[in-house]
Amino acid sequence: MAKELIMTGCRAAAEGAKAAEVEVICSFPIRPYTAIMMELAKMVADGELNAEFIHGEGEHAQLSVVLGAAASGARAYTGSSGVGVTYAMEIYSPMAGGRYPAQMAIADRTLDPPGDFGSEHTDAMCTRDQGWLLGWADSPQEVYDNTLINYRVGEDHRVMLPQMVCQEGYFVSHIPDKVILGDQSQVKKFLPPYRPIGPLSTTKPVSHGPQIRPDQGAPMDAMRAAVFLDVPKVIEEATADFNRIFGRNYDPFVDQYKLADAEIAFFVMGAHANTCRKAVDRLRKQGVKAGMARLRWVRPWPTHQLANALGHVKAIGVVETSTSYGGAMRGGNLIHELRASLYDLDQRPLVTSFMAGLGGETIWPADFDYMAKVLTEMVKEKKTKRYVYWIGM
Amino acid sequence: MAKELPGYGTINVPKERQVPFGAVTKAPVCTQQLFITSNWRVVRPVKDDEKCTRCLICYMSCPDACWIFKEEEDVMEWVSDFCKGCQICINECPSDALTAVPELDFPDGVVRLDKPF
Amino acid sequence: MQAFNYKFQQLEPLKSFKRVPVPEMYVPGHRTCAGCGPALNYRLVAKAAGKETIFIGPTGCMYVANSSYLCTPYAVSWIHAQITNGGAVASGIEAAFKVAARKGRNTGVFPNIIVMAGDGGSVDIGLQAMSGMMYRNHKVLFICYDNESYANTGIQTSPTTPYGAKTTFTPPGKEIPEGKVLFPKDPPQLVIGGHPAVKYVATTTIAHPLDLMNKVRKALSQPGPTFLHMLATCPKGWLFPEHLTKEMARLAVETGMWTLYEWENGTYKYTNVPKKYKPVNEYMKHQGRFAHLKPEHIAKMQAFVDEKIKNVKQAIAVAAPVPTARQKA
Repeated sequence: MAKELIMTGCRAAAEGAKAAEVEVICSFPIRPYTAIMMELAKMVADGELNAEFIHGEGEHAQLSVVLGAAASGARAYTGSSGVGVTYAMEIYSPMAGGRYPAQMAIADRTLDPPGDFGSEHTDAMCTRDQGWLLGWADSPQEVYDNTLINYRVGEDHRVMLPQMVCQEGYFVSHIPDKVILGDQSQVKKFLPPYRPIGPLSTTKPVSHGPQIRPDQGAPMDAMRAAVFLDVPKVIEEATADFNRIFGRNYDPFVDQYKLADAEIAFFVMGAHANTCRKAVDRLRKQGVKAGMARLRWVRPWPTHQLANALGHVKAIGVVETSTSYGGAMRGGNLIHELRASLYDLDQRPLVTSFMAGLGGETIWPADFDYMAKVLTEMVKEKKTKRYVYWIGM
Repeated sequence: MAKELPGYGTINVPKERQVPFGAVTKAPVCTQQLFITSNWRVVRPVKDDEKCTRCLICYMSCPDACWIFKEEEDVMEWVSDFCKGCQICINECPSDALTAVPELDFPDGVVRLDKPF
Repeated sequence: MQAFNYKFQQLEPLKSFKRVPVPEMYVPGHRTCAGCGPALNYRLVAKAAGKETIFIGPTGCMYVANSSYLCTPYAVSWIHAQITNGGAVASGIEAAFKVAARKGRNTGVFPNIIVMAGDGGSVDIGLQAMSGMMYRNHKVLFICYDNESYANTGIQTSPTTPYGAKTTFTPPGKEIPEGKVLFPKDPPQLVIGGHPAVKYVATTTIAHPLDLMNKVRKALSQPGPTFLHMLATCPKGWLFPEHLTKEMARLAVETGMWTLYEWENGTYKYTNVPKKYKPVNEYMKHQGRFAHLKPEHIAKMQAFVDEKIKNVKQAIAVAAPVPTARQKA
């Protein structure tokens, strides 16, 4: 029986991993994601989960352990936050290139210096070009759901890629919310067992990862890129199945809120969407035609879906929760890709960005009011005056 | 949508340049025939069966597994395809049964081949 | 975790060369240098381990020179690891096979899981992963095949490069005549000193093949982590003619530059101890990497080795059965 409980995002991630019957788990403590591993450690200790729980000696080892496990046919699970995510940097590309579909849970944390516990997307965003699937949840419920959806997509033989399932530190990871846990029969219907391709074995010996010929370097990259042409289709199928089996209502790529007739729109990712929805409601009451688009997957980037969802809007404010120092817009990363996605439209919306929710700061309803004011002025003047606004600065 | 947006096209990697899935290859059996190394050598070990005691030291000394003991025939067999001519076996042979002979002394010497392997 | 009876392998010792398993698990057809010590080492290890084996190959000569152009010489399953993480990848593989056995997915014998790491991949950049694996009690044999340098990248110094050796990162010059001024790490002692889960550690050379293979088989028959430190002489890096590959390994033992021993549950057992050690120069004079050294540098090396073999002599003296007065009578 599906059951409804109140739990944090960390607990929800652990419940998702348990439902997926993960077999090899590798931990290393760093706040705030640690609570996921604390929950899983207890589940293993209590005999609720038949898995090997390995205390990695660092995040680099965590990724290496799950790489080895996935190469040997086990469903593997790990996670990290902040500088832990970047410490493991060497292993992201070999994992994706080797097509090992393990999963990594991220509860975001600001990178150092100087040591800030607050949430910020920069940690996981650093890895976005390593060939992983990457996306953000906005609630503990979606964390649980994404854990299952990601295993299903990642382990699909058309995909076979590792997945990064992100949630904001504290805002989601540590704030309890209502979560409906699926019945195990639903999970079984949705998520087939992991079927590795050419795993390490003594009966069918294989070599994993020998060096390629010099003329195969570019083809290898092209083939890795080509996988991402198929991924959106698999995500659509998996999301449709998930919605049907679990009775949810996810848009596969872009969570759209009052967008249909919107003149200005906020482009957000993660839990700040919850505040944003309220802000949209309030603005609507004041007669401002506001809407919101929330990105569910950063990789693969839903180019066309965004163009379709946002093409009719007059001005878009990208709420950046990560940094791209010295980047084209001198703000965050999302605006670059959003602008690129809209470039080929006949009528392009105006796009600016707002640096908000950095270093763990809350984005308040009043901040959205301010953004709406900027966007409304842009619409009136039919001009983007600035690429980036730093909220409160 | 008023206008059709550009797509991603397709990626067609020529078959001969394709990399196997995840760069996973089947393990070789007995020898790696894709990597013949006989054309590396300038000398080869030549064996005197009178002196050879079948002590198997050459067999245990070769990095490239180029000495095989044929038990039924009671003879050591040299594997030409992979011998790199390092001469460890010659140095190790306790009964002086092996001699280094230049490849040029053999009609089929690998250094004579018009086309290297 | 409730006790589960994994089907760990028990490999009997090999009595003679004739009893050595015939199948090659590290097959000919690879791009290692002519006379490569590490390649011979690999071949002997793979032969001793047999078919039910999985190798983890961190980056190093034995990855780069072996697995070129999508063809590899490993007849058993093999996976490349980064130079940093051999121990961690092995941990994940071992864990996966344990779960598979518990869940009944894999009913065969438990595979030998062997990390074949160079000196850099084990006691330099790979130290953390190796130590973590050993601490966590994974059933993995971690091998450090020691060619005393980062050879694949063009002979740079590593923590096991001996004092006085010329490498491309320790070139001798007017200011630094010795080349390398530091003394090397002692890998087996690093393992023995801080890893209570490890019950078996041994050292080997390619000049003692039966000893080597039996140590591999003994290590693989342990239920937990084990470590082998294997001297793999390198003609290219050490600058000696390639037919002397085994000769150098033999001289290393005869001069005390290398000691052969087993450490089992706290007890040392030394093998092939020379009755009288040759001077270290007998070993060094063949190698171009030491050619620039002056007599005072060789004396410094001799003093270092004398200090090292003192322990061997003491250990032997204690271990040897000493007849009591009553027995004499």
